[in-house]
Amino acid sequence: MARYNILVTGVGGQGLLTLGRVVGNAAILAGIDATIAETHGLSQRGGSLIVQIRLGEGESPLIPRGAADLVIGMEVLETARRIIYANTNTRVAMNKFLWPPPLADYPDLEQVVDKIKETGVKLYMIDANRISENVVGSVISANMVMLGFAYAVDEGLKKLFDKKHFLQAIERVFRGKAVELNKKAFEAGYEEGLKQT
Amino acid sequence: MGTGWSALTRKDLISPKGRTVLLMGNEAIARGALEAGICFAAAYPGTPSTEIMEALASVAKDAGIYVEWSTNEKVAFEAAYAAAMSYVKSLTTMKHVGVNVAADILMSSAYAGVNAGFVIVSADDPGQHSSQNEQDNRWYGMHAHIPVVEPSSPRDAYKLTKAAYMLSEKYKHPVLFRSTTRISHTRQPVTFEQDVPVEKKCKGRFDRDIERWVLVPAHGRKQKKRMMEVWRKIAEDEGVEPFIRIINPGMKKAIIAGGIAYSHVMEALELLGKKDEYSVVKVSLPVPLPYKPILRVLKEAQEVLVVEELDPVLEIQIKKIAYDNGVTTKIRGKDIVPINGELDLDSVARSILSFDGREPIMPWKPLEPLKLEPPIPARPPVMCAGCPHRNTYYIVKTAANKAGLKDPIFTGDIGCYTLGYEPPFHTQMTSLEMGGSIGVAHGLSKVVDEPVIAVIGDSTFYHAGLPPSINIVYNKGHAVILVLDNQYTAMTGHQPHPGTGLTAMGEPAVRVPIEKLLETMGYKTYVINPMNVRESINIVAEAFKKYKEGEQIAIVSRMKCALQAVRKARKEGIRLPVYHIVEDKCTGCMVCVKLLACPAIVVPKGAKKPKILTELCVGCGLCAQVCPFNAIEIFKEGSPDWLEAWK
Repeated sequence: MARYNILVTGVGGQGLLTLGRVVGNAAILAGIDATIAETHGLSQRGGSLIVQIRLGEGESPLIPRGAADLVIGMEVLETARRIIYANTNTRVAMNKFLWPPPLADYPDLEQVVDKIKETGVKLYMIDANRISENVVGSVISANMVMLGFAYAVDEGLKKLFDKKHFLQAIERVFRGKAVELNKKAFEAGYEEGLKQT
Repeated sequence: MGTGWSALTRKDLISPKGRTVLLMGNEAIARGALEAGICFAAAYPGTPSTEIMEALASVAKDAGIYVEWSTNEKVAFEAAYAAAMSYVKSLTTMKHVGVNVAADILMSSAYAGVNAGFVIVSADDPGQHSSQNEQDNRWYGMHAHIPVVEPSSPRDAYKLTKAAYMLSEKYKHPVLFRSTTRISHTRQPVTFEQDVPVEKKCKGRFDRDIERWVLVPAHGRKQKKRMMEVWRKIAEDEGVEPFIRIINPGMKKAIIAGGIAYSHVMEALELLGKKDEYSVVKVSLPVPLPYKPILRVLKEAQEVLVVEELDPVLEIQIKKIAYDNGVTTKIRGKDIVPINGELDLDSVARSILSFDGREPIMPWKPLEPLKLEPPIPARPPVMCAGCPHRNTYYIVKTAANKAGLKDPIFTGDIGCYTLGYEPPFHTQMTSLEMGGSIGVAHGLSKVVDEPVIAVIGDSTFYHAGLPPSINIVYNKGHAVILVLDNQYTAMTGHQPHPGTGLTAMGEPAVRVPIEKLLETMGYKTYVINPMNVRESINIVAEAFKKYKEGEQIAIVSRMKCALQAVRKARKEGIRLPVYHIVEDKCTGCMVCVKLLACPAIVVPKGAKKPKILTELCVGCGLCAQVCPFNAIEIFKEGSPDWLEAWK
């Protein structure tokens, strides 16, 4: 059976690695094998970043171009940059947050959204930064908002996981008061996702 | 940011057998070493190797082992090797280029051997995610006569680490364990096969075996014979599990693959529906390649494809085995498989199809890149908001103008501050290897007319900055040494170093002040706090004037890494100030944007004035000090003690 491929894309510092770890722990709880390829070191410092999550039996950790079943985009330009990992059946869950790199000219949000839609992928959008601010008081949990949102809109994820797997994984990954806050963030993203399906 | 260690609790890494834990490859290596019974581990941090020692440091007290961050890879190697000379199992880890630093002792360790298991992890970086090159360190095994063990996944790394210790103990010889970025930094559920032993040998004894440890030429010649005998035996006897595994034997076509390439091959064959057509040889001991099983496969198959990342280390050995045994099987490798960068499923599937003489049609159809106007801008890594290096670079460039220091050449080094090569700073014009800034600055100062400023980080200075600093004063070079001291080995995730006041295991340690070292060498040394921008500009300008007059000058710029300051503020409930741009006062001159390139300052699409993303601002205040119109003001006051966070 082909593996289920989730490409997480964004900017270093947006919590992509943590998102990957939550999915990985949820996989253990759901009895699914997984590999999660991360990016560390200098490339983490505010640079373009991807995390490649592959679920199901197999050990090659890198997603072939065009083989992503789900793209979770924490930032608009980075989602656009990595669209080559998607195919026309891919679902794209994108944070409606455009963060331009310093000193650079860049295309505006509407243009990027239109072009992504033109490719034929199924695009779902959410303002995860704002929801995170509302729920936990800062943008720090936008990653869990995005994960909850992606779970709500992506049929593939729903087939593989129960919601409780993610909530339990959050308990394993976070400590102290961050556990409840991140569960709330996940739920808020999930609720928003349900509205769009 | 940081290293992601927080997700795994200390308990997880030392939890009992039977538990399944999501481990990064590096953590899996750490667990394997713990199960093997190590009691001593030493390393210098370097991506992608760092988390092995971080993991061990975090459980050191619970597991009853000793762990240190040494000042460089050579020193770490020597410390760990000494333990293994003395019957204590030990580990040293480093990134691939770190092995270059430790190469001298690496070579000697193979001559003298060990008395307890000793594994050197080399974490290579194919694709250069975070390195100056992508050298293939399997060659080091060949070069030094040290066997190389190479895993194909994090789970495999866990198991093979234990096998590497068995190999080392069996032959009383060091073993090089080669990981790569995609092993070290991939997570996978790992089920523990054994407990971490409670009893282990931590107290050693030193045999005064002079013929062995004193490698004068007469002794060295004897040791060489021992070493070559070990080498021969390994190639002869170790062609067995787990070092060599043959899947689906007896087919007319065979693929021989090692490391991560094996994982790509297995999945590619599955996806291409060709699993039953091929025998696959998984090589976990690429150097020296055990010839017996390889020869068997070469005789059974009519065509063989060697799939390996980077250099043809297996291919050359396989072709030699074929030649020596008169086998004429067609062997292909780097004529098909890419030699540059890392392999992936795409490139491996293409290689297999090409080997089959088929058109490379893939089972997956990627979308075309989006055509946008303007196109998606590149997003290289940048200095974080509040990064002290930004302050220092601004200060140094302004002071150079003020002091009339014309067109300085900035030699550079390895660390976050390497990002100074980017606009608008241009304060890194070389970055070659650890410590290179100072040695290169010395040579340049002898042959060019421009002023030369060597820029080096604190950890890098302790690592390799001392000998070249001494060399400048001894040999009358003329370059300014600028040490950027943010009090941690920051780029790899804030490991402590001799200036931090902490050890790897979290115990208090003495601080070795960089300015005192430089003063002792004969430099007139200035210390600045770059948060005080104006005062620092004056001090540095004064220093540059002295430099122009012919004095030997060093500057230490000391301010804590912003990520650590933010972490401390969060932990201690300190509120950092937040700035904003007052629209009425802002003229849209863009000085803040153009001089600082701070990721917290953006120009919204179509806007004439910049804006501060308040959720990213950490209150360093540099932009407010730079704004010519005083348009940047505090938007939210920090708590009264906010400066404590930066101390």
